[in-house]
Amino acid sequence: MNCEDISFRYRPDRPWVIDGFRHTFKPGVTLVKGASGCGKSTLLRLLAGFLEPQAGRILTPFGTAPTDTRFQRCALGFVFQQLNLLPLATVERNLMLAGSLAELPTEQIAANSARWLRVLGLEAYARRLPQSLSGGQQQRAAIARALVREPTVVLLDEPTSGLDDLNARVIIRSLEQFITGDRICVVSSHDTRLESLADETLNFNHFLPLEGHLEALV
Amino acid sequence: MKPSTLIISYLWKDTWKRWCEQPGSPTARVFVTALLVVVTTVILTAFQLVERSLRERLERFGLDTVLVREAVAPNSPGFFRHGGGPDALAMLETSGRKLRLRQLFVRGQTEWRENNLPVFTYPPEALPALAEMLSTQTAAVCASAELPRNALLRVRIGHRSVLAGVARPPNWLRALAPDDFVLVPQGWLEEEERLGWLATTVFQRGLGAPPMEQIIAAVNVMAILDQRTPPQIQSALPLMRELDEMHLRHQQWRGVLAGILGAAVALVYGAIAVLEFRQNLFVGALLRSFGAPRWLLYFRHWLENAALANLAAIGATGLVVALQETIFGTLGFPREMLASAGANAYAGGALVGILVWINVGAFLSSLPVAAGLRQPVGEILN
Repeated sequence: MNCEDISFRYRPDRPWVIDGFRHTFKPGVTLVKGASGCGKSTLLRLLAGFLEPQAGRILTPFGTAPTDTRFQRCALGFVFQQLNLLPLATVERNLMLAGSLAELPTEQIAANSARWLRVLGLEAYARRLPQSLSGGQQQRAAIARALVREPTVVLLDEPTSGLDDLNARVIIRSLEQFITGDRICVVSSHDTRLESLADETLNFNHFLPLEGHLEALV
Repeated sequence: MKPSTLIISYLWKDTWKRWCEQPGSPTARVFVTALLVVVTTVILTAFQLVERSLRERLERFGLDTVLVREAVAPNSPGFFRHGGGPDALAMLETSGRKLRLRQLFVRGQTEWRENNLPVFTYPPEALPALAEMLSTQTAAVCASAELPRNALLRVRIGHRSVLAGVARPPNWLRALAPDDFVLVPQGWLEEEERLGWLATTVFQRGLGAPPMEQIIAAVNVMAILDQRTPPQIQSALPLMRELDEMHLRHQQWRGVLAGILGAAVALVYGAIAVLEFRQNLFVGALLRSFGAPRWLLYFRHWLENAALANLAAIGATGLVVALQETIFGTLGFPREMLASAGANAYAGGALVGILVWINVGAFLSSLPVAAGLRQPVGEILN
């Protein structure tokens, strides 16, 4: 997955969040590290095609832009920091919907759901609504929802933020199992527990606008 | 299962839950629409009923018919008890057919009809024109659209009683009276004729005759030339003018109500749709991040608004139809008019237009949602 000199800012009157970033994400896990506000989450949303860069371009492994609907539906798995599950659908239904939108056959969706629910320790919660789950369970369910689609590109935004070691370990194990072959996984986090998972680490702190932080410190 | 089925099923569940949690939202929309539709339906139906009433009057009177009435008192120069006397409107015979009658200042009564019947006497010259109404048993005729044809009935006129045969009046004579009337040969009611009469001429314009306005003007001019009091002239022209005016007003009201209804639906529904869209902003964005198409999320809002608006409109129209006799009876429309055809057809006719305006409003109300759905997922979800 190629980023070719991409620049992005949220409003024309705001400073650049990402300015002239160039990188090729290779198969395996890339850990994007950096302090809060350095643009890690923005990078992931650009890679997912949920935002579009004002300059430069991003190319998916299929040679398309990430805004391509087919890429988003069939080849992308994204885990957001907060809201990840449809509140009125059970965990199982969330997984089924995600798999179905990825155009997987029903049997495969069922098999994938069963697998990832088991790996992530959620079998007992499959018929529960997200609101009845704990934060860790919800985050694991979100990862299951992303993996059930068998995506080529998995993007995880702070997947272990605020989670205890046990939950973090379950998540790391599931990712280790999933990231094989040509699959690309980009994880944005400043959680050191994820460092063992990474094949490559990218320091994003050079995009951090220091002024505000220094002022706060003073 | 197909992805669209799953998404639609989820969106339906989401909508239903929202309605259950905030019943005020759908109720307010339904109530506002129903109220507006009831008012609109009643106004438009009332216009249609008035138009219908005018048309019926016009039909009964006849488009080419003129009724000329002139009072003849016992001391006036035109008072000839026997025979018709000079005909001031003789020149009209070249332009159509004409019948001279005398309307007496008495009324007739039958055992069938309690109301008084106007009584006309006809001269012998009128026999060819009235031939189709006359029976062999009596020369008196009770012209009625409802009483059984050819029946013989006794009509009391003042102190006298005459036997009259029931006949249907030909169309051109229906202008003589709105309901039933009695025709008696001149000379049968000598006592009553002594009081004077209204010299009544029914004229039906023929093909190729001058326009009605010119004929009426000619009658007036002749009265002035003969130094007579201008006669009372009744024609379809005022009714046609009234009908045209009513039709124009109907169209204007239709336009105004269309604007009000469409704008009200667009504003009320639009405001609620925007609020609910914002409440569900994250869920919508999440669905889009899964790959759910934007049009489906827009379609949900449009369909919700359209379904509520149409449901309210159809329900409100049904209510007006069910209560039509009470509503339009209170507004002063004769019950016979409502009973004969009912206002259903009119309310139903108005419904088509109302549904169009409401759906335009529902569509407009969903446009802000369409604009909201253009916001990138990445700007909504963190």
